[in-house]
Parts: sequence; C-alpha cells; structure tokens
Amino acid sequence: MEALAGARPRGRRWTNLFERPGVLASVLISPAVIFVLVLVGGPLALAIWLSFTNATTGLHGKWVGLANFRHEWGNPAFQHAVWHTFLFTVISQAIVLVGAGLIAHALMKNFRGKWLLRFLILLPWAAPIALSLMAWKWMFDTSYSIFNWTLIHFHLVDKVSPPQYLATSKLAIGSVIAVHAWRILPFAVVIFLAGLASIPKEVDDAAAIDGATGLRKFWSVTLPLQLPIATVALLFGIVFTATDMAVVYILTQGGPPPSFSTEMVTTWAYKTGVESGSLGPGAAISLFLLPVLAVVTIAMLLFARKREVA
Amino acid sequence: MASSDDPSRREGRYDRRELLRKAGVGAASVGVAGTGFGQAFYGPLRFKGRWLKGDLSLITWAHFVPSFDVWLDKTWAPQWGQQNDVQVKVDHILNTLLPARAQAEVAANSGHDIFFDLAPRPQYEDNVIDHNEIVQEVQRKVGKIGKIAHRATYNPKTKKYFAFSDNYVPDPVVWRHDIWNGIGMSPNTWDSVRQAAPKLKAAGHPLGIGQSAELDSNMALMSFLMCFGSFVQDAKHRVTIKNKHTVEALKFMADIYQKGETDEIFGWDPAGNNNFLYSGKGSLILNAISATRTPEDRGLPFANDLWIWPVPRGPHGRLGYEHVMGVWWVWKFSQNQPAAKKFLADLEINYRDAFLASKFYNFPSFPGALPFKEIRKLVAQDKHKPQGKYGILTTIAEKYTTNPGYPGYSNAAFGEMFSKFLIPQMFAQVSQKKMSAEDAVNAADHDIKQIYAKWRKLGKI
Amino acid sequence: MEAFGRAVREKGLSYLIVGPFAIVLAFPFYVMVITAFKNQTEFYDPSVTPYWFGKHSPTWANASYLFHQTEYPTWLENTAIVGVCVVAITLVLALPAGYALARLAGRVGQSLGVGIFLTYLVPPTLLFIPFFAVIKQAHLTDSIWSLVLVYPSFTVPFSTWLLMGFFKTIPQELEDAARVDGASRLKTLTRVVFPISIPGILTVVIFSFSLVVNEFVYAFTFISPSNQKMVSTGVYTDLIRGDLPEWGAIMVAALIPSIPLALLYNTFLDRFIAGFTGGAFR
Repeated sequence: MEALAGARPRGRRWTNLFERPGVLASVLISPAVIFVLVLVGGPLALAIWLSFTNATTGLHGKWVGLANFRHEWGNPAFQHAVWHTFLFTVISQAIVLVGAGLIAHALMKNFRGKWLLRFLILLPWAAPIALSLMAWKWMFDTSYSIFNWTLIHFHLVDKVSPPQYLATSKLAIGSVIAVHAWRILPFAVVIFLAGLASIPKEVDDAAAIDGATGLRKFWSVTLPLQLPIATVALLFGIVFTATDMAVVYILTQGGPPPSFSTEMVTTWAYKTGVESGSLGPGAAISLFLLPVLAVVTIAMLLFARKREVA
Repeated sequence: MASSDDPSRREGRYDRRELLRKAGVGAASVGVAGTGFGQAFYGPLRFKGRWLKGDLSLITWAHFVPSFDVWLDKTWAPQWGQQNDVQVKVDHILNTLLPARAQAEVAANSGHDIFFDLAPRPQYEDNVIDHNEIVQEVQRKVGKIGKIAHRATYNPKTKKYFAFSDNYVPDPVVWRHDIWNGIGMSPNTWDSVRQAAPKLKAAGHPLGIGQSAELDSNMALMSFLMCFGSFVQDAKHRVTIKNKHTVEALKFMADIYQKGETDEIFGWDPAGNNNFLYSGKGSLILNAISATRTPEDRGLPFANDLWIWPVPRGPHGRLGYEHVMGVWWVWKFSQNQPAAKKFLADLEINYRDAFLASKFYNFPSFPGALPFKEIRKLVAQDKHKPQGKYGILTTIAEKYTTNPGYPGYSNAAFGEMFSKFLIPQMFAQVSQKKMSAEDAVNAADHDIKQIYAKWRKLGKI
Repeated sequence: MEAFGRAVREKGLSYLIVGPFAIVLAFPFYVMVITAFKNQTEFYDPSVTPYWFGKHSPTWANASYLFHQTEYPTWLENTAIVGVCVVAITLVLALPAGYALARLAGRVGQSLGVGIFLTYLVPPTLLFIPFFAVIKQAHLTDSIWSLVLVYPSFTVPFSTWLLMGFFKTIPQELEDAARVDGASRLKTLTRVVFPISIPGILTVVIFSFSLVVNEFVYAFTFISPSNQKMVSTGVYTDLIRGDLPEWGAIMVAALIPSIPLALLYNTFLDRFIAGFTGGAFR
C-alpha cells in the first residue's frame, strides 16, 4: 500500500493530505463520532422528545411540556427510587473502595497461591451477571437459602420463620447492596492495581528518605496518591451501579411491597415506560439520571486527571 | 413444493399426510393420563377450499405444565401447519417477561403474528385486530363462548373482541391434608383458616397466601376480597373498592399473616408459593394444579396428601378468579392474519387434546369445546391419589370461577390496576402495619380511580 | 533478620486480607458447583447439606439436561459470535478515534473524548424503544445481528475514551523518530504506534467482551426465538420450565462461561492493567 502510494502522484497527493494533522484527525475520528451520533444521538433525541409528550405504546403522544417531569418530581414512587439509587450506589461503592484498596495493596506483593486467589477474586467479574444473579437468587431463596440452612443448623434462627433476604425491606436493601458490591469489587481491584502500578516507585522511596513513617506517611503520602485511583474506581462503580437494572430486576423486581424498598430509577423507568407502556413518563424518569451522572462524571474525570498533572 | 398449486397433486399429498398424522397422533397419545388423544382435527376445515400459506409466528409462555409445550411444539403446531401449508414457529418465554416483550412489539410495530399472555391486556385494543370473527367461527362449531372468556376479552363500550381466550385455569386451594388433619381442621371457610393459622405455624407448617407484586398474589387476594363481598369495580365499571368489606378483609388477612404466615409471602415471585409447598413446609396455598402436578412428577413424599378444594367460604360465599387464562391476540401488523385466525379457531375447536396435554390445567374457554360431562369422565381416569381428586375442578370451574374485573368486564383500567399490583400492595401495607386498613383502602381507591379516569378519558371504558 | 521477619509479616498480612475476600467473592461459585452436580431431590431436601453432595451425587443429569433439552450450545455460540463482532467493530472505530483524539486534535480532542464517554452514561431504559424501531428498520428483529448493531453504542464510547488516555502514554518521541526517518503519519500509525498499543487493545477487547456477555436488557427484549438467544437471556428465560427453575442446569450454565473467562482475565491481567494504567491514569 505504502509502496504504491509512493509510486503514484495521485497516491502521494492523498498521503500528503493525511500529513496534515487536522485532516487525518477528522478522518480517524469521524467514523466513531458518526456512529455514536447516529446510534446514540438519534435515539436519544427521540427519547428526549418522547419525554415531553404523553405518548403511550401504540398511541402517538401530544406535546405536554414539562408535565411528565413535574409529575414524576412529585411522585413518591420516583422520589423513593432516586433515594434508593443514591443509597445503593454510595454504600456499595464505599464497601467496594475499602475492599478493593485493601485487596489491591495485598496483591502488589508476591506470595504463593496469589494466582489462584486472584482467579477467585476475578470470578464475579467474569460471570455473566444474569447468571450469577440466578445463583444469588437461589442462595436467597425463601425456602432453600443456604444461609438459612446454616443458621438453622446451628440453631441461630427459628426454623419456621428464618430471615427472608429478599422479602423484608431492610434485608432486601442489604442484599441488593451486597450483590452490587460483590459484582463491582473485582473490577475495582483491577483499577486499583492499574493505579498502583502507575505510581512511580521513587515517590515511595522519597517519602522513606524524608523520614516519613507510619501514620504521617499514610496521611501525607500514601492516601493522596490513592485519591485519583479511588476516583476512577468510583467513577466506574457509580456508573455501573446507578445505571444497572439487572440486579434489582432479577432479584426483587423492585419489591418487596408495600414500600418497594429496592426500586431504583432504572427499574422504575423500565416499569413505567416499558412494562406499563407510558413512554413519555418513562423517558422523563430515565432522563433525570442523565445530567446527574454527567456532572458527577465530568467532575471526577477532571479531578482524576488534575491530580495526575499536579 | 413447486407443484403445490396443482390441486390433484395436493390432494394426493393430503392423503399421505392424513396417514402420517394419524400415526403421529397414535404415538403421541401414549402417556397422558392413560387416555388416548382424540382425533386431532374435527370436521371439515374452515375456509374450505382455500389454502393458506406463508409463515405464522407465535409467542407464548413456558407452560407451568411442561407436557403442554411438548404437545404444542411437537404435535399440534407442526400438524396444523402441514394441513394448512403454513410454516408455524412457536417461541416460548418466561411468563413474567411477556408484558415487556408485548410493549416492544407494539412500539416497533413488528414482531410475532400471535401474542399470548396470562391475563387480558385490553390496553392494546387499538393495536390488535377484532377477534370477533374467530369467536363467531368457534361458536358455530362448538357453541357459545363461556361467560368468563367473554367478559375477559370483550369491550362492551367499543363492541370489540380485543383478544381470543382459548382457556382459563380454575383456581383451587391446595392444602396438605396430613398437616391439617394433625390439628383436626380443614380449610372449608376463611374463619377456619384463621383459626388454624396459629396452630399450623406452631406445628412448623405456616400458610402461604402471597402478598407480593406477582400474579399469584394478585389472584389469591382478589379472590379473597370477593369472598368478603368486596369488588374492585361494579358491573358499570365504577371503582367500588372503598367499602367496609374491604376494610374487614384487610384486617382479616393481616390477622392470618400475623398468626400463621412468615415474611416470605412478601418476597415471592410466581413460583414462590409453589416452592414453599414443595419444600414440605407449607400447609396451604392458592394455586392452580401445577402445584400438585409437580410433586406427582417429582415423587415428593407428600404428593398424595395434597388435596384440592374450592376457595374457602367467606361472609359473601365462595368466589374466585380464574388462576390464569390463556389470552391470545393477533396484532394489526400481522402479515398473515387469515392463518392466525384459523390457527386460534382450530386450537379451540379441538380442545380435548390441549386439555389432556396440560394435564387438566387448561379448561376450554368455550364450554362446548369439551363439555364438563366429558371433563369429569377424563378426570376420573387420573390415577393419582387421592383417587378422583381432580374431579372437584369442574365444580370450581362451573360455580366459583369468574373473570378478572367481575362483576364487570376485564377492561383496560382494570388491566392496568392489575399489572401494577395495587391490591397486594394494599394488603401488605396493612399486614406490615405501615397503614391502618382504612388508610390503605383510601390510598388504593385514590390510585385506582386515577387509572380509571385516564382510560375513561381515552374512551375505552 | 529483621527484614526477613518483616517479609513474613507482610506475606501473612496479604493472605489475611486476600484470603477472606477471595472466599466471600467466590462463595456463590462454590454453591454453583455443588448445586450443578447435585441430584435434584437432594438440593430440595433440607436434610442434605447444601455444602456437599448427598448419596446420589455428583450427577451429570443437570448438565445433560442443559445440553440435550435446551439450546444452550447455540446460546454460547451466539454469545461468542456477537462478542467477537462487537469487539471487532469497536476496535475499528475506537482505535483510530482514540489515537486522533490523543495526538492530533489538541484541546478539542480532550473535550470531544469526554463528550463521547458521556454517551456511555445514557441508560438503556431510555434508548430501548428507539432502538427497537431502528432494528425493525434494519430488518434485524429477533436476530443476534440486532445486538451486533446495538452493543457498540456502549462499547465504542468507553473504548475510545480509554484508548485516548492510553495513546497519551506512548512517548511522542517514538513517533517523531519514525517521522524523521521519513515515514508518513499513516505508516507511523500502523508500523510504530499500533504494535506497542497491544496492552491498550487487549484492555479494550476484554472490557468490551465482558460488557457484551453481561448485557441483559436489550438481549432479553429484542430477541425471542430460542435459537437466537444470548447465554444470559437464554438461561434466564428458557431454563425456568414448568413452575420451577431448573436450578441444577442453571448453575452448570453459569459455570461454563464464567470459569474460562475468569482464567482468561487472570492470565492477561497484567497486560490489561498496563493498558488501563495508561488509559485511565494519564
């Protein structure tokens, strides 16, 4: 190809064109940008339009302005969903950050059996989520839960009415958070490993030479270095948790009633927009999530990269 | 195939097929309840002399009695397809995923020719054909449509059949005779259920009437309400949930929960109460006979102690909904409507095979397709113990089964109320002491009235 | 001596931290293995411990059901096909774009990169209905190719962003040297830049593939025929026969893709990490 380009004047002209950074950049970038614009931008625009209408499945809607947004804003079901999404995301990510930080630091060292332990830790990430959720559903089963079998075996709970992990509000919230954390943790470990690998060894050594030890070193050197890593891990964790629907959909369907204490914005949007067919309100609910996530993401990206430069 | 337009050739082929068909039916008839399948196709085919062609796709649930799917996929659909020169394709999905799939098909204006769900979905009235023609055809062959099916698939306001029902499933109470016998009681009335509740729970065998956001809970609790004289709507489709009977029923059920049930009833999916029974823990559930068929198939030790009775009697008598009903509809966008119509009509006209394949689960929506007299005979041949236990199903079907929305029709507003699980929600509020019975009724009344107002505005009720 | 003691203590600490976490994270898989090879009546029987097999186990019955009574092999195949195609499309689009954003487009590139990444945040619940219409227009309803069309909508944004970061870590001097030697920009790209980008590419491959395998919402609503299903949706929708899930078969179905994928991820983890280090932290 290059040989041909060199031989023919016309080919050379093309090549010369590619030598201009601006031209080459547009040629290289545009396929991806066009693809994203068409495949995400188009549907997104349609969805935004829908959110301003009272469209239901099969019926073309009329323009209703901000009515859908106003209605959902005042709807207790939506408010709960927002609160739960926030709660689940924050708590599960707190668990994930601490866990991933600890695991990653331990994995930076060499020890026998590391490969196997790392394999076990990566398993939740490798398993297709819908399938591992079925295993969780089985472990939380109302009749055959392995946890309850164990508790009953050691006479720790009543045989007839053991804890119901997906059927009572508090336990269901706990279960969903636990599963979210379980699912994100391996990936966060990977991000931490990547982050730790990017910290130059000299920084650590320099701190040691300065005589910084123990708690002081932790506060002034170790922790600040973790911050950008934690930020990136958190970014992915937040995006994965807040936009996920599978965990709640398969485990609790947003239940248990009456408080629907595991309903998330995504499941509520799905129930409203897809299962009940109220396309307008459904789109509006999903749209609430977008600016929040965008702001969080941009802030975190800026933070992570700034720290790096400084 | 190239010569399929030549009538003489076609007839020759038809004869061969007839032979094949008979052989196939003979082979398939072994096994189900020991009785033979009847002839697969009765009488002359509809649209005589006209050959349908093309493809026909349908989507239905994964049946709770798996032998039905085997029959539908391997026997009925291919044979019907051969007879009619139509390539039939049957897809099955998990029943809880059907509503989402239906929405997607409507939104995209494409999908299967025939769609199935377990409850009427009147909200799609504008997206489906008028099924009157199918109803008329079946009525010509086997007699009048059953009252339950009529009220579940017909909109009196717009005078349109928005769906075609082939079957409904009687909803009995399934209970462990050995356990109940141990405390010297039986679930004949709701009063005796309440009295038995603490004793059963003390014996380690709680009751299992769900209060979760799922189909079985919906059905059980609405039947319970009707036994107390409380109805979601009246015959003129006005919301009537707010009354003293509802309050009484709520308090009654909360009492049953507190004395004789465990928290698991709030977390069930449609298989939750089945599992509860199969684990050997449960002493009573409200469910269709898949709850006794599975223990029979699995050889569970208490399979013979599972008794089937009509729903317990309440202050207002015994009254229940069907447990589920087979509701089919043909989308307006379907490319092969003639074949779709004929498929559904033929399915109903020859319901005996379907009934047997479902192991008595599916009762025909047109009583004439398989009269109760015949059902009783077939059911009497079932060998499972206690002998003749399935006989009661005909009584339940005849006397105590109504359509969702009774005494009115199953309209779009009722359908939305149903799919949002507002009734289990109301019960759970009271059982978990989050609200007083009065407040819970008021809240439900408020939500339900909003839904009705919306559909009234759209001119559908 | 002191150093030796410290090393032992540090190693001990590592085991103490990683060990319990590994047990907790892998516990569901232990349950899967036991349930997968257990006789059905046994896992429904509370008198048999759920931690080990009973008298009639281990059994191949569940695995045999999965392979003979369901279309599981087809689902695996579909997942592999979709995975490979989506990864290929993703690379073709994201690799040049990531490079250009990092090197050629300056400040605009940075903002554009973040902009592309933001599209990753659009929730599937919002795009679901419009996508269905697109698929119908393309006559891809009920086919795995609909997923090949839709999945890059979330793999491309992410991968472009990651590769953009990655290319920034490649020293500009390498390229400059090549260009001084007279190579064109394109040639520099194919001969110099891409070969040393293997870790970044690998990261994108693994990450995109794992997103494809995990996706659930689109896969289960877009596709209904059994022979077109992906592994996660097929198992979820077709293995609940009658009124009960086939727990044993479901566990077999979950283990079969999980274990090789985890092995694969573990083997390539160091390279993945190298790619990610560049991508996310520079």
